[in-house]
Amino acid sequence: MSDAQPGRAETPAENAAAPAVTPAAPEMTAAAPAGKGAASAGNGADPVVAATRGRPAMITVKDFSFSIGDKVILDGVGFSIPEGGYLSILGPNGAGKSTLLKCLLRLHEKGTPRGLVEVAGRPLGSYTQKELAKLVSYVPQAGGWIPPFSVLELAKLSRFPYATSVSTLSRADLAAVDRALEITSLGHMAHRPLKTLSGGERQKAYLAAALAQGSPVMLLDEPASFLDPRHTSELGRLLISLNRDEGLTMVAVTHDLNHPVRSGGWALILKEGRTSYFGPVEGLMGGGVLEKAFNHEFTYLTHPADGRPVILAE
Amino acid sequence: MRESAGGAALKTSPGGAAGKARPGFKVAALIIGSLAVTALSPFFGLSVISPADIMLPDHPDAEVFWRLRAPRAAAAFLAGAGLSLSGMVFQAFFRNPLATPFTLGVSSGASFGASLYFYLGGTFLIRLGGVGPLFASLMGAGFSMFLVWSITRVKGGFSTVIMLLAGVVINFFFSSLVLFVQYLSDSHDSLRIMHWLMGSLAGLETARLADLAFVILAGSVIFRLMAAEIDLLTAGEEIAASRGVRVGLTKIKLFVTASVMVGSVVSLAGPIGFVGLMVPHACRLTLGWAHRLLIPAVFFTGGCFLVLCDLASRLILAPAEIPIGIVTSMLGGPFFLWTLFRSQKTGDLF
Repeated sequence: MSDAQPGRAETPAENAAAPAVTPAAPEMTAAAPAGKGAASAGNGADPVVAATRGRPAMITVKDFSFSIGDKVILDGVGFSIPEGGYLSILGPNGAGKSTLLKCLLRLHEKGTPRGLVEVAGRPLGSYTQKELAKLVSYVPQAGGWIPPFSVLELAKLSRFPYATSVSTLSRADLAAVDRALEITSLGHMAHRPLKTLSGGERQKAYLAAALAQGSPVMLLDEPASFLDPRHTSELGRLLISLNRDEGLTMVAVTHDLNHPVRSGGWALILKEGRTSYFGPVEGLMGGGVLEKAFNHEFTYLTHPADGRPVILAE
Repeated sequence: MRESAGGAALKTSPGGAAGKARPGFKVAALIIGSLAVTALSPFFGLSVISPADIMLPDHPDAEVFWRLRAPRAAAAFLAGAGLSLSGMVFQAFFRNPLATPFTLGVSSGASFGASLYFYLGGTFLIRLGGVGPLFASLMGAGFSMFLVWSITRVKGGFSTVIMLLAGVVINFFFSSLVLFVQYLSDSHDSLRIMHWLMGSLAGLETARLADLAFVILAGSVIFRLMAAEIDLLTAGEEIAASRGVRVGLTKIKLFVTASVMVGSVVSLAGPIGFVGLMVPHACRLTLGWAHRLLIPAVFFTGGCFLVLCDLASRLILAPAEIPIGIVTSMLGGPFFLWTLFRSQKTGDLF
């Protein structure tokens, strides 16, 4: 266990599922880059345990499998994220990334999940849908069906878990909606129908709606797909600031290999439904991790301006 | 609307929709207008009845007013409200404006149930009395909904195309079964089935009005209580689930309620087509998709719309009366096409 996160106080407790030490601070991601190359799966330590060392786990997934009929989509996937952590889920198309996200939301209509999923220390199955919604929000993949609502209406709908059966919103609800629009700087287009927005604006509107939910965990399904470079980098910065400044625990499925490098935290690579890599983002650089997962060559450069690593697919 | 960086939610009225006037006022105006038209409609018909006469006991006009026209207007109102609301729910559910009790095959399923009852009712062991047709329609409606549901589900999700195709197939299937039953029946029953299939409020039994009122009002209240869930389902199932809606359960509740409403209307008035297509669509054009407001608007507009159609069906060939289903279908056909072409132009179906 000596390999995890230099600079971090050692916790005597080896049972890392939920240690008593609870600095619910979001700076974990800031600390992580220091541990370059450390704590990868190679050193014999269990990265699933190492991931939450020293802080309570927000999401713990152990030996999780999911199949529809006799088609196995996820097979023995395991990971965990501490409070305020940032997990990027990577992998080739069809690896089961979106399915994993849907399983965390209990969105699967058919199919049988097996294994353990815990959110905030409780088994996923023990939550009612509304209780779960108060903990976990979700930003869907853009494209496809566009809800026939305005930015504001969509954000207000996110207050459903707090409202009674009759849809009346309290001042606290409205304040949460306003704050979400402010963070995403969408206040000036609150009344615009989603349909009239550009792809980038619409994705921000979905993000605002998820933020209005006020949940400590946010799941994102390829938030930057279909966006132009400017909107992609804007959204990326927004997500990182939500993690660092608002303390949200982020779980993002993404194809952009450089986003995890900037956000820090942890990466999970799925390949054909299995864990190909789980460990700190730094472990992605070199060591053949990406090459193995994607069956493709990558080049690792250093950004000339800020010295950050850049991953380039050949 | 005011535009400022923050405070959009706190400053404006809740549920802001398209248009400048506050949508609440629009709904109130719609409700008042619809009720006024409905209340005035029994005065018109073959003869115009003077308001002064209806309170006179034993006056023949008072008799016509209270015994014939008022119950019929009430039935038309309830049927219109029920068909429109269930159409609205199906559309939110499938996120498709062409989903209606008719296109989904619910109407023909209910028709089959009812015609089977007309055929077997007199001869068979089943003697349910007055609620017989209602019960049989509900069974038929439920069965056809179940079929459409299963087909779309087996073929993967609720794809619009699959759903519409399944509806069309089920529709044909049950229509042929109805024809089969009709063929087996004697000429009296056959004529009765045929008249009823055209959709008519003429043979309405007043005793059944209370059943209808109960089903439609209870269903409307259920929908209204689920307005937020319906909104979220409209936004998408994944969004709904992540916001705390139990999607599966909610869908079943909505499906069953809507099917029961359609079944009860069909059992009394026959399969009156296109109401569930036209009314919700027209209401959405002015009010948007916030179901909190849309539900009362659709309820009253739908009721009023069918009352007017009924009046037209009595006046067009007066003194003869044409089935109301013919009136609504003559309006609905062009409307359906207009929706289709408009959707092609704007690129999406709403």
